[in-house]
Amino acid sequence: MEQSEASVQHRSRRRSAWLRPEEREAFGFVIPLVLLEVFLVAMPLVLAAYYSMFRVDFFELTEFRGFDNYIKILTSPFILKSLFATLVFSFFALVITLTVGLGLALHLERDTRWNVFARAAVLVPYVISMLVGSLLLRWIFSKDAGITSAVLGPFGLSETSILADPTNAMAALIFNGVWRDSAFAMILLLAGLKSIPITLAQAAAIDGASAWYRFRRITLPMMRLPILITIVRLLIHFVNVLTFALILTGGGPNNSTQTLGLSLYRLGFVDFRMGEANALAILVFLMNIVLIAINLLLFRQKGGR
Amino acid sequence: MSRKWRSRSLARRAITWALNLIILAVALGPILWGLSTSLKPTPAILRYPPQIIPETTTFEHYLFLFETGIGRPILNSVIVSVGSVFLCLLVGCIAAYALARIKFRGSAFLLFGTMALMSIPLPSLLVPTFTLLANAGLTNSLIGLTLLYTAYQLPIVVWIMYSFILSLPIELEHAAMIDGYSRGQILRKIVLPLSGPGLVASGLFVLTFSWNDFVVAVAMNSSEATKTLPVAIYGYLGFFGRDWGPLTAAAMVSIVPVIVVFLFFQRFFLSGMTSGSVKN
Repeated sequence: MEQSEASVQHRSRRRSAWLRPEEREAFGFVIPLVLLEVFLVAMPLVLAAYYSMFRVDFFELTEFRGFDNYIKILTSPFILKSLFATLVFSFFALVITLTVGLGLALHLERDTRWNVFARAAVLVPYVISMLVGSLLLRWIFSKDAGITSAVLGPFGLSETSILADPTNAMAALIFNGVWRDSAFAMILLLAGLKSIPITLAQAAAIDGASAWYRFRRITLPMMRLPILITIVRLLIHFVNVLTFALILTGGGPNNSTQTLGLSLYRLGFVDFRMGEANALAILVFLMNIVLIAINLLLFRQKGGR
Repeated sequence: MSRKWRSRSLARRAITWALNLIILAVALGPILWGLSTSLKPTPAILRYPPQIIPETTTFEHYLFLFETGIGRPILNSVIVSVGSVFLCLLVGCIAAYALARIKFRGSAFLLFGTMALMSIPLPSLLVPTFTLLANAGLTNSLIGLTLLYTAYQLPIVVWIMYSFILSLPIELEHAAMIDGYSRGQILRKIVLPLSGPGLVASGLFVLTFSWNDFVVAVAMNSSEATKTLPVAIYGYLGFFGRDWGPLTAAAMVSIVPVIVVFLFFQRFFLSGMTSGSVKN
């Protein structure tokens, strides 16, 4: 050990002044990770920032445009409409998913055999492919399946075609988010619930506190951080997700469910307007940075490992 | 008093079970309905009122899919999934070990950076990444896709393995060091053999991500030869249109392996999901 350290030091006396041998070894261990992330995650963003300043025709940079692409994006009614759709979708999906997730966590909190099974069952929509989940929901909501007609028939609504009406299509899209991600919220919140010392609730119960009172005065305050973390993580997901809209509604009818993620995809991979698409990607990324920063702050506050 | 109490608890139990049934029906209904559809002969699929359980079952849609070449996309998905699991575990374990056990300048920054990367949403990266891969000639290639999946899932793998290695007793490693083991030997002969649960948890994460991913694959790989299974299913959606027999059959082909793996390794999934967001 001594000897090898000495020989390493001898070989690179100049570098060893600022790099201990242990550090050199550690750098060797992390370099593949750093290279992969730099080339495949950071580089694309740098390239995107560059491309976003040009007019791009099928990957040929044809004309320098400065910030024109950004101005074009920010003033495009199409993009503003999809920003609105994204906000509506994210808001409702977030509120409902969080509520359902918290409800599930409380309902299935105790580790009985049934509850463990039920937790696994609600997680199934989360673990399967998003594409397939949305495809299956599209089949349920389609008129051909006959399910909606059979369910809504008794209310005299058997002719309703859910995905053909803008409001209903948005509701279906929100349902898709809730259906898939409630279990994710449940798991995060369940871990939070389990970390509340049970003696607290017991003491309160002995003092005669009702279940609702215990929930409001003990569970909720103790769950502040897990709930905030769940909110931010769900929000990052909902603001960006494109598969739900692409598969379930195709953005329709009349672009009413065209979310920002879907616009980005269309601009890049359907219209091939790479200059504008990269500008939009950078804008969306900047928006995400705010959310990610909040996420990291919360994580720190938790003293996370 | 006691009778009132009993009837109240009975009502309570009834509500609990009603809730349980609703939860199961909503969560699993769409999947079971898809399974039922995939087993019906074509004329029965559009019959009204809908049959929940098929009167006659048939595997014609599944056979049709395999005759028309769903085998290739399945193989591609397997290749990409196995490749990215292997690369992720290899690169991730080595890095996680260094982060957990060696003091070096920049390690705190690296951990923080990994954490930040974990929450970058993929859709915002698609267009820029396609621009880069197109320049590097790596679009429509299984290697390009494998590398991307590796880069996207490495942060979570590093995080899971980092937490796991921290929880291992360090005394063994000290003893090995005194015996003259190098860092690499310690990792191979002491840390990895003890890291089973961590490896399984992170491997499962990468596996399901790579098997399920649709957005990255559809953006980067549009050629027939390198299509993965989800991209092929998306293609069917345009091709079969309202022919839901083959569509739901393809959906089942994609999700049945995932559900089986998930049910077997549930415990590991849960530990992976909460790491990186809730201290454990």
